[in-house]
Amino acid sequence: MKEFASDKKSRVPAFLSFVVIALFYLAVFIAEQHLPATSMLFTVLKKGATYALVAVSMNLLNGFTGIFSLGQAGFMLIGAYTYAIFTIPLEQRESVYQYFQGGAVHFTVPVPVALIFAGLAAAFFAFLIGLPVLRLKSDYLAIATLGFAEIIRAIFQWNQLGPITNGSNMLRMFPNFNDFNIRNASGEVTVYLSTTIPFIIAGVCIALIVLLIHSGYGRAFKAIRDDEIAAEAMGINLAHHKQLAFSISSFFAGVGGAMLAMYQTTVQAKSFTSAMTYEILLIVVIGGVGSVTGSVFSSFLFVACSEWWLRFLDEKQMIGTFEVPLLRNGFRLVIFSLIIMIVVLFFRRGIMGTKELPDLFRRKTKEGIK
Amino acid sequence: MRKILSALLVLALLVPCFAVADDLPVVKIGVFEPASGDSGAGGKQETLGMQYANQETPTVTIGDTEYKVELVYADNGSSTDKAPSAAQQLVSQQVSVALGSYGSAVSIAGSLYFKDANIPVIGVTCTNPQVTLNNNHYFRICFLDPFQGTVLANYAFKELGARTAYCLAELGNDYDVGLSTYFQQEFEKLGGTVISDFFPTGNSDFTSYLTNATMFNADVFFCPVSIAYSTQILQQAAAQNVTFPILGGDTLDSNVVANAAKGTNVKVVITTFYQEGANPTFDTGFKAWLNSNAEAMTNNGGNDMISAVSAMGYDAYYTALEALKAAGSTDSAAVMAALPSVTLTGVSGAIQFDETGDAIRTSAYVKTINTETGDWEFVAEQTVE
Repeated sequence: MKEFASDKKSRVPAFLSFVVIALFYLAVFIAEQHLPATSMLFTVLKKGATYALVAVSMNLLNGFTGIFSLGQAGFMLIGAYTYAIFTIPLEQRESVYQYFQGGAVHFTVPVPVALIFAGLAAAFFAFLIGLPVLRLKSDYLAIATLGFAEIIRAIFQWNQLGPITNGSNMLRMFPNFNDFNIRNASGEVTVYLSTTIPFIIAGVCIALIVLLIHSGYGRAFKAIRDDEIAAEAMGINLAHHKQLAFSISSFFAGVGGAMLAMYQTTVQAKSFTSAMTYEILLIVVIGGVGSVTGSVFSSFLFVACSEWWLRFLDEKQMIGTFEVPLLRNGFRLVIFSLIIMIVVLFFRRGIMGTKELPDLFRRKTKEGIK
Repeated sequence: MRKILSALLVLALLVPCFAVADDLPVVKIGVFEPASGDSGAGGKQETLGMQYANQETPTVTIGDTEYKVELVYADNGSSTDKAPSAAQQLVSQQVSVALGSYGSAVSIAGSLYFKDANIPVIGVTCTNPQVTLNNNHYFRICFLDPFQGTVLANYAFKELGARTAYCLAELGNDYDVGLSTYFQQEFEKLGGTVISDFFPTGNSDFTSYLTNATMFNADVFFCPVSIAYSTQILQQAAAQNVTFPILGGDTLDSNVVANAAKGTNVKVVITTFYQEGANPTFDTGFKAWLNSNAEAMTNNGGNDMISAVSAMGYDAYYTALEALKAAGSTDSAAVMAALPSVTLTGVSGAIQFDETGDAIRTSAYVKTINTETGDWEFVAEQTVE
């Protein structure tokens, strides 16, 4: 993954990766037009795209800048709430804010603007928190950010903020992924876009992160990750760059949170627990810390396993007349945790290590690819 | 290694294909319930009622054909971020109608997915008014929070003679906070004073809240919280020798709570959907089934006490069967069209839907725990004009 754009020999793999990604997008679009919209596949793809973006944003911090932050769920919460608050249609507010007389916000903004608001709000909070917190290192930073995520959740649930956040109650009725479908006058869907649009949003955001990683800033981030003292000696302003990475990562986590809101069709602070952060951290670890491709790949794998492929474990299965033992409600979670433990214990470098998509098309050199 | 793993995964995917087919055609009813997470225990008990009903009546005659009823399960994990995929799972399995969920938040979170697929859902014990409001596909067979809050406030004010109430709710739990709000509104309207307080998720030390309530000279302690918290509150209240009775909503109606209060001198009063003994045939049948099925017994918390949610799950299953019969087809849209006019005399009372899709319920059962035996005892049937 080293500056493949500047190296002439590596143009072909980069081009091939681009083709693969484009074909994948095309496949998603075509599948969406022809397969039934109720298929589990699309649920997984939508949630996968959302998690991919959040995982990559977390990887930017943990894998590329070496800042071990566990505040991702908190920033997603800010993003999700900001998006929801600004997009709930005015005529629905009375019923959504049922205990707060329609709430305090009386305007809406278009969806793309709300998405950017979501990112900016998360980035703004990240900036404020970064001021004291980024002075800490490793474990201490992780604890501080984890604590912050919990505090944010409690603040959003606070009844006194109810007119804005709806307190403990959920926000709903805002535009979701299905509203991206193009309908004709009689309400029938003519072009399905409910999976393609989330892919485009996540794709654009991830592309921006990749561009950032390959820029001068990205090289500075990696230098900080490898050795802070050496990086400082080279003239990199540590505080400035860490703050930048933290805010940018949170911006995309915020956008990811807004996408999660659209996927869930409702937002409730209760669901943005530290368990969500751990899920994302797992995705990053399974994919490979320091690999954007790995994060994207493993988030689809993770979501597909947890939401779809392993669900059969929750039901009784018969092979002929033989009833498979142990299979019953809740067994899925046992198997799932086992798989995760095996991966974390024995495949610590994850699926991709630090490799990226273009590296897969590159001929292996003798010493392997780093 | 990776190849072996992927081969195993593929094999695992093939397993469902081996399921044996029955001779009868199959109609699928989705069970949209939590089996894990905070409400896992309640969700399992609600599912038990459906399973028992399914075992009792495994077939249904739709039109002129006899169908085998298959329950399809999807665990919504008590969490709004898991609910959409669980709902989608049921949708992709083409269920004719879905039942659930325990917990209003997950019901609302899954709602749109059923709506898009034109599949009707029968809410079993989700009491938040928003579940059925402004939609045509969500129905409900239980009473609502405003009703329950009013009943409890009236009971506290008139029967217990309370003038000061202390409300405790979990921060971030819309059920707790909503029910407290309705309780507070009614109690203050009656002329009482309410002190309301919140505790953060995961809290396990309630002594300070109990002390606060004593300090304010509270006459009742209203805590419509999840089962896990309520057992802790009860034990800590017993340790403090509190003088006020503890009031709760339908969530407290569980044998787990009754066990926690056993041997203490705390008075617990709750409102609920069903009282054991109201329908002896159901009671004996359900108990016999629990005792013959070890797995069901475990899911019921290890004993054969009947939770109101199980009775509600039982009624929901029969409501679904009635709807299927009335629709005369397994098509979900036809079932949805047939549901509003379905009537049924269930074990929890008569079920009939109003124009929003809520069951018309005018009374709730008030129950208390006999602290010597650890059983729930019937107090009164409370109605509100």
